[in-house]
Amino acid sequence: MSVYFAFARSAFLTQLAYRHEVWANMIGKLVQVFARVAIWVAIYGGTASIAGVSLEQMVTYALLGGAVTGAIRYESIISGIGQALRTGDVAVWLLKPASFPLYVLATELGRAAFRFVILVVPTVAVVAAVYGMLPPASPFHGVMFVAYGLLAYTIIALLSALFGLVAFWLLTSFSLEWMMQAILNLLSGQLIPFWFFPAPVAVIAAHLPFAWIVYYPSAVWLGRLDVTATLSYFGLGLGWAALLAVGVVLLWRQASTRIVVQGG
Amino acid sequence: MLRTLRILPRLALMYLRSQLEYRGAFWIDRVAQVITYASSFAVIWILADRFGTIAGWNWSELALLFSFHLLGYSLGACMSFTQMRQLEEAVRLGTLDTLLTKPISPWAYMVFSGLNPGYTGHALLGIVMMGWALSIVAVPWSIGWVAYFLASLISAAMVTGAVLTMIGATALIWTRSNHLYSLFFGFWELSRYPINIFPTAIQATMLSFVPLGFMAAVPVAVLLGKPVPILGDWAGPAALLAGPFFVALAMWQWRYALDRYQGAGG
Repeated sequence: MSVYFAFARSAFLTQLAYRHEVWANMIGKLVQVFARVAIWVAIYGGTASIAGVSLEQMVTYALLGGAVTGAIRYESIISGIGQALRTGDVAVWLLKPASFPLYVLATELGRAAFRFVILVVPTVAVVAAVYGMLPPASPFHGVMFVAYGLLAYTIIALLSALFGLVAFWLLTSFSLEWMMQAILNLLSGQLIPFWFFPAPVAVIAAHLPFAWIVYYPSAVWLGRLDVTATLSYFGLGLGWAALLAVGVVLLWRQASTRIVVQGG
Repeated sequence: MLRTLRILPRLALMYLRSQLEYRGAFWIDRVAQVITYASSFAVIWILADRFGTIAGWNWSELALLFSFHLLGYSLGACMSFTQMRQLEEAVRLGTLDTLLTKPISPWAYMVFSGLNPGYTGHALLGIVMMGWALSIVAVPWSIGWVAYFLASLISAAMVTGAVLTMIGATALIWTRSNHLYSLFFGFWELSRYPINIFPTAIQATMLSFVPLGFMAAVPVAVLLGKPVPILGDWAGPAALLAGPFFVALAMWQWRYALDRYQGAGG
C-alpha cells in the first residue's frame, strides 16, 4: 500500500513544480464557479424560492458541486491508461510488482489532493464570500458530507478507470473521455440538481452511480435527505463503489490478457 | 505565393488521409463529441423547460445562441486549436526550428498540415441545430439580416481562431503556453450563455482581454434585437469588427513572438 501512497505523494509534489499552471487553473476555476453561480442568480431573477429550493441553497449547491469534479480529472485517468496503451508502456507495467490501474488511480488522487487544497478550497471561499454560502443543515449532515465526498472521489476514480480500460478494446481513449464528460454533464447533477429534472428522469438518475459524484454530497450538506435516507443512500453508494471496483478488477484481468503493443 | 497557395490544400489533404487511416476510431470519436455537446445542450433545454426563460432569453433563442457558438467555434478552432497546442512541444523539442527552415510561412504550414477534420462532428451538429433553431425562433428575415448573420458568424470564427493562436504563440517567447488554454476554456464555457447574466467585471473581460463574448453572445443578441450590456448600440458594428481586429492583433503578435523566438535552450 505504501507504494501507492508514494505514487500519490510524488504526483502531489510534481504539481508544485508548475506554478504558472496553478495560477492559470486557479483563475480559470474561479471564473467557472462565478459563472455557474451567476447562471442560477439569473434563473432565479428575484424569486425567493423555486420548487421549495431557495437561491441561497442553489448557490451553495453550485459551489459544493465543484468540490469533487473541480479537483479530480477523470480525463487524466482515462488518457493515462490510453497513453500507456498507445506507447506500449503498459507491457512494462505487467513486469512490475505493482498494479497498473492502482498506479494510475493513486497518481491522479495525489494530483486531486493538490488541486483540492490549492484550487478548490480558495475558489469556493472567494465565491462564497461574494455570494454567501449556507452551512451544513446539521452537524450530522456535515459529517456525512465528508463521508459522501470521499465516496464521490472513489466512485469517479473507479468509473474513470473502467472507462479507461475499455480503451483496450476500442484502441482509442479520446471518445471515452468525451463520453464520460457527457455523463457527468447530465447524470452527476453537476450542472442541474435532479430536483429540477422531469420526474421519471430524476428517479432514474438518482439511482445511477454518477449521482454519488455531485448530487448526493451536495444534497446531504443542504439537508435534503433525512437521517435514514442519508444513511441508506450512503449504503447504496458503497454498493455501487464495490460493484465498480469488481468491474475494474475483472476488466483489467481481461484487458491484460489481450494487450497488443502497437509498433515497437 | 501561388506555389505556396497550391501546397496548402495538399498539406490539409495529407493530414485528412492520416486521420482517416483509423476510420472506425475517427467516427467513434466524432459520435462521442456529438453526444457530449448534445448533453450540454440538454442541460440548457432542461433549464429553459423548467424556468421558461433565462435572463429574458427563451428556449428557441438559447438554441440559436448555442448552435451559433458551436459552429463559430468549430470553424475557428479547426484552423488553430490542435495546431497551436502542439507549438509548446515543438518549441521544447526543437522541431519548430526545422519548420523555420522550410520555404513556407511556419504559421501556414502548421495550420494547414494540421487542419483538423475532428471538428466535423461539432460542425454537423451546429448546422443541424442552427437550422432547427432558425425555424422556431422569431427572426426578422431580410437580406440585411442574413448578411449580418453570415458576416458575424465569420467574425466569431475569426475571434476564436485569433485568441487560440495568440495563446499558442506565447510559447515562442515563454516556451510554455498550454496552461493558458485552461483559462480559455473557463471563459469558453461562459460564452455560450447570454452575456447579461454575468457580473459586470466578467462582462467587461469577455468584451476586451478575453473577447469570447463576440463568439456568440454579442452577435446573437444583436440578431435577436436584445440589449447588449456595456456596448449598447455599438454592439452591432463591434461584433463585425471584432474578428478582423483580433486577427490583425494575432498576426502582429505572431510576428513579434517569432522575431523573439530563441528556442527552448539546452
